[in-house]
Amino acid sequence: MPTDSAPPSAAASLSEDDRLLVAHCAALTFPSSSPTTAAAAAASSPSASFQVHHASHPYPCAAFAFPPSWSAADWMGGDGGRPPFGDAEVDPALFPSLRAVGSGIPARTNAAFLAAFRRLLDGSTLQSEVSRAVAEEKRVVFTGHSSGGSIATLAAIWFLEKCTRRGSVNQAHPFCVTFGAPLIGDNIFNHAVKREGWSQCILHFLLPLDIVPRIPLTPLASFREEIQAVLDWFSPQTPNNSPAGRSLVIPGYYETLLRSTLSIASYEACSFMGCTSSILGTLTSFIDLSPYRPCGTYHFLTSSEQLIVLTNSDAVLQLLFYCLQLDPQQQLLDAAARSLSAHWQYEPIKECMQDIICVDYLGTISSTVPGRQTDRVAIGSIELSREAILHLSAAAQWEKQRQRNQTKIDESCQKIQEALGSLNEYKRSRELRGVSYYDSFKLQREVHDFDANVRRLELAGLWDEIVEMLRRRELPDGFEAREEWVSLGTLFRRLVEPLDIANYYRHSKNEDTGSYLSKGRPRRYKYTQKWHEQLQRAPVGSSLESCFWAVVEELQAEMADGRAFEDLRDRVVKLENDAHGWYNSGSLGKDVFLGSSSFVAWWRTLPEQHRSASSIAKLVSL
Amino acid sequence: MDDAAGEEEASMFETSHVLGALLASSPLLARAWDRCTAATAAALGFVHGEEDGGNKVYVGFSGVQAALSAAGAAVAGGGADVFAPVGLGGGDAAAGRMFAPLVAAETDPAAAAGEPVAVQALALQCFLKLCGSPDFQMLLDEIRGKAVVFTGHSLGGAIAALAALHFLCISSSSSPWAPAPPVLCVTFGSPLLGNEALSRAILRERWGGNFCHVVSQHDVVPRLLFCPPDAVPAHIIVGMQLHQWPARTRQTGAVTTVTMRMADTDKDALRQLIQRHVGAVAMEQKLAAPDETTRGSPYRPFGTYVLCSPEGAACVDNATAVVQMLYATFASRSSPSAGSPEAAHSCYGELVLKMPQHLLLKRRLRVDDAPATPNYDDGVSLALEASGIDAMAMEASTARQWLKTSKRAGRRPSLNSARLATQLGRITPCRAQIEWYKALFDAEMGYYDAFKQRRSPRKYSKVNLNRIKLGQFWDRVLTMLDAGQLPHDFHRRAKWVNAARFYQLLVEPLDIADYHHHGHHRTSGSYMTHGRERRYELFDRWWQEKACTGGAGGDVTSSMLAASASSRRRSKYAGLTQDPCFWARVEEAREQTESAQGERDVAELAMKLEELQEFERYFRELVASKEVSVDVLAPQSSYTLWVEEWNQLKLRDEVRTMLLRF
Repeated sequence: MPTDSAPPSAAASLSEDDRLLVAHCAALTFPSSSPTTAAAAAASSPSASFQVHHASHPYPCAAFAFPPSWSAADWMGGDGGRPPFGDAEVDPALFPSLRAVGSGIPARTNAAFLAAFRRLLDGSTLQSEVSRAVAEEKRVVFTGHSSGGSIATLAAIWFLEKCTRRGSVNQAHPFCVTFGAPLIGDNIFNHAVKREGWSQCILHFLLPLDIVPRIPLTPLASFREEIQAVLDWFSPQTPNNSPAGRSLVIPGYYETLLRSTLSIASYEACSFMGCTSSILGTLTSFIDLSPYRPCGTYHFLTSSEQLIVLTNSDAVLQLLFYCLQLDPQQQLLDAAARSLSAHWQYEPIKECMQDIICVDYLGTISSTVPGRQTDRVAIGSIELSREAILHLSAAAQWEKQRQRNQTKIDESCQKIQEALGSLNEYKRSRELRGVSYYDSFKLQREVHDFDANVRRLELAGLWDEIVEMLRRRELPDGFEAREEWVSLGTLFRRLVEPLDIANYYRHSKNEDTGSYLSKGRPRRYKYTQKWHEQLQRAPVGSSLESCFWAVVEELQAEMADGRAFEDLRDRVVKLENDAHGWYNSGSLGKDVFLGSSSFVAWWRTLPEQHRSASSIAKLVSL
Repeated sequence: MDDAAGEEEASMFETSHVLGALLASSPLLARAWDRCTAATAAALGFVHGEEDGGNKVYVGFSGVQAALSAAGAAVAGGGADVFAPVGLGGGDAAAGRMFAPLVAAETDPAAAAGEPVAVQALALQCFLKLCGSPDFQMLLDEIRGKAVVFTGHSLGGAIAALAALHFLCISSSSSPWAPAPPVLCVTFGSPLLGNEALSRAILRERWGGNFCHVVSQHDVVPRLLFCPPDAVPAHIIVGMQLHQWPARTRQTGAVTTVTMRMADTDKDALRQLIQRHVGAVAMEQKLAAPDETTRGSPYRPFGTYVLCSPEGAACVDNATAVVQMLYATFASRSSPSAGSPEAAHSCYGELVLKMPQHLLLKRRLRVDDAPATPNYDDGVSLALEASGIDAMAMEASTARQWLKTSKRAGRRPSLNSARLATQLGRITPCRAQIEWYKALFDAEMGYYDAFKQRRSPRKYSKVNLNRIKLGQFWDRVLTMLDAGQLPHDFHRRAKWVNAARFYQLLVEPLDIADYHHHGHHRTSGSYMTHGRERRYELFDRWWQEKACTGGAGGDVTSSMLAASASSRRRSKYAGLTQDPCFWARVEEAREQTESAQGERDVAELAMKLEELQEFERYFRELVASKEVSVDVLAPQSSYTLWVEEWNQLKLRDEVRTMLLRF
């Protein structure tokens, strides 16, 4: 459900019910007998499995728990020529919202986890169990430890997509609770989840030192053996779970992990700290940086009394490195051992959730006077270095800056509405004279036409600025899902795009450049169209009503060039049917069908036989 | 001003050390260094190899051959010549061709006022020799289209930089307008390569981001060429390079002498020499007197400098700030003297291993009770620490200022260009108003004559106001461009070139009309030679440069200008006449016709007629190819009137016979 992104300072502290649910999830994920039984259960059924647990307290809910996998193959898939980080585009049929709306670039995710999730969907009772829970009006919860948490995240997003598409958004939000889950999605993944307002339902619990969330930041393909060694150490099936059984490759891998995490944290910090050095762009072609970024709401479990809650994923990424930064005397080996063992220390969550205190750490850092005193705000027993504090405040400030940019853009709303109002008046006054404003504008005979052109240019300036800011990611992630802007954009597109088309064909730009639709359509219309389609969950490319005239112009030009009607019949019929539908839904104005409209004049030249059977025959004779 | 700067600082963050951390934590530097050591041991002068499954090629260059060839001269005291700058475009035609885009601008009269692009003689000579070898040509063919890292240590780095420049030159000439190919040049402790003109040319081509010069804190070699030409201790540079060479091979004549003389050089004296001259260059820059030529070193840095200490690295890319930082890092003795100069010059292998390890450790303020400082200052302190400057050192405060200056300078161009884009959007309605005015008179006399005769005074004054407003806007753009406050490739960005061209085609006729209305053409000479605003001349050049480098493509909204598609026939007249000076020519033609009418002298008449015929040919061609707008052919336009006058003239007997004779 698209909501206005919550102000950053209100990092949600957990409600009573949520706390109970988290504890419940922890109890499910870490059964009290010992990790061995949980793993044994997982081992008895292959990696594609899950458990459902129904509960009635605090409210009726069905919790789906996904077990972790300790096989490297389940983390990075086969060697089949995958990119070094094992990522792939998400399946648009499964996750239609996971993309950048305006540019249409799909999100990327860990291909192995995605494949595991697909296997669950196709080969298990997951779908039917979820449907049953929904039918019984139970709240659906997904949970998991380690890679099970990543699968749970995908499942939660899949479920959210289904709910919103069915329109049943009012049902209680599903809930996703992960413990020490590895990162799964890229920047666009994170952007899309934020935009759709889903990040508050995806709760990640992390121990600050846990190595696992960072594993995807290393080039998976090149460290297969090392990662298997780490997973072997975690696996309860490996004899004794003891340091002696630890492979010698682990310290080396741990250093690689630290270095990779530092690279990515520094790279992202460069961008939100406003680095202008031109070498930054060159370096990205030569340094392989992991695409994965944090996504959702993070809870750093600093002690059994304190949770640090972060919704700012830039800040989370910084913490992923700076929590691991070594103390000068610390041995790499010890650090690695602590980091590994942290992955099995989530069990206390079962007991401590009731009284735990949620801290808005980023708020504390960025609100106090900058300087020394904040250094004392430690994360549990970990004291952060000076750079860490700086990077965190920069991340907080960048988020605020994006919010401020949005406020500034909101101020132009009024101006846009005024200009649209005056263009609407123009359109109406032309209609009263029996002329389509499209034709009148294309002729540019009267002073009204000129004024309309000035309005058009003013509006173009305002909207181009918005689109530019979106492309530079200077607006909050939720901007493109804000209803007021999406509907304003649709209004703007339907009213003004015909004028741009008129201008394009008036100056015969199609002769220089190509058709309007393929070459001349400005981004401001492409973007606003996609916003509308995303918000309405309509198929991509279904709302081309504002380009009606461009199609007409192209057909006219081709017929003038001597193409036979027979060749164009299909396209004409499609246009007629589309126009009919658009007219009925109110997205295409009646000016198009006015007796003197150039469209009608052209349409009348079509063969009689075709016209009489046409779907718009009645409209034209109106 | 200070308040504004302070407020700006409150929201800024220093990033030079963050970028340094990115570079140091990645495997890039270590891989490049491996290639450098391999090259030093190789006989060929360079080695190459692939990394990351064949996606990237690393090419390492050795400076040993260069050092050997210069050893004799260095011993004989002729070092000044070896390290003197030589012009790229001048003497050696081959060199000019190999670096064509860099020297191309020198034919441009505006740029030629400055010094020509020049590079260090020894590096160029070695690179040219290398280029002549078939092995190297084969390598160039092999790596084309791939992501390439050129790298080298010491003199090898200078050769690597030339190779990278050459590679960028040939890649950009095969596909203009494409973004620079993924090319990176990593030098380790290399002497400076070129003069200020080279540095500027690289910025203009937007190649600054392709060069990464790693310099350790105590290394003398990257700083030695700041000495004035006659004071360069050539034997040190050569000797330092030879020092990298396995000891057993060093036992030959001149080589031994160089090594011995280097060993004799007093360490502290050398240190002082460098400190004095680098300091002098740094000082000179601060005083900023560009037209005052001093006898100092001609060499200037380009690209990004990575100032390294075991603590980390700071990346600086503003050329002035680089000089300052090269001085400050060297002068600040934060750590007890770092051993011999030889050790400081060959420490890079160890450095690339140590830096990342240090970055994984938590560093804290040395002074724990430091007062609360703003985020930005805190960041600058970290950057200083990373580059090895002690916060307490004398140089720290100047270095601090220069890092800040560099940061601000880096932000300004993109901020300005974003602001201008908004302003451009805001004045577009002025342009629309003039378009409307033009359309109003298209059928009657054309907007040129209407404006010249001040028809319908209210409309005239409105349009005139818009004309002035637009002119002021574009003059402001040019002032900023001249002051270097806009991105270096601003005049090559399609958006701006097209917007400027559209403005020019629409508005210059009005300026011409104004000029002739006031009769300035009689008092101050013809418009074309005396009346044209500088902006129009510049826009003409931008447009021509764009045309000769191929169509820009991309930006659709501004491809309203049909001229780019001149190969295609137009089906109707252009929206705007494609020759911005069309009306000035018409005015000249009319004047010529008038004077021909009264001309009695046969020879004079013949000359005038010939010129008129030339005009006629030119106009006819434009009209026939529909490169003019309809207003030109309006029934009462100056052009239509001229055609009539000219036809009248041609009817006269003596004219007709004369024309037949041509």
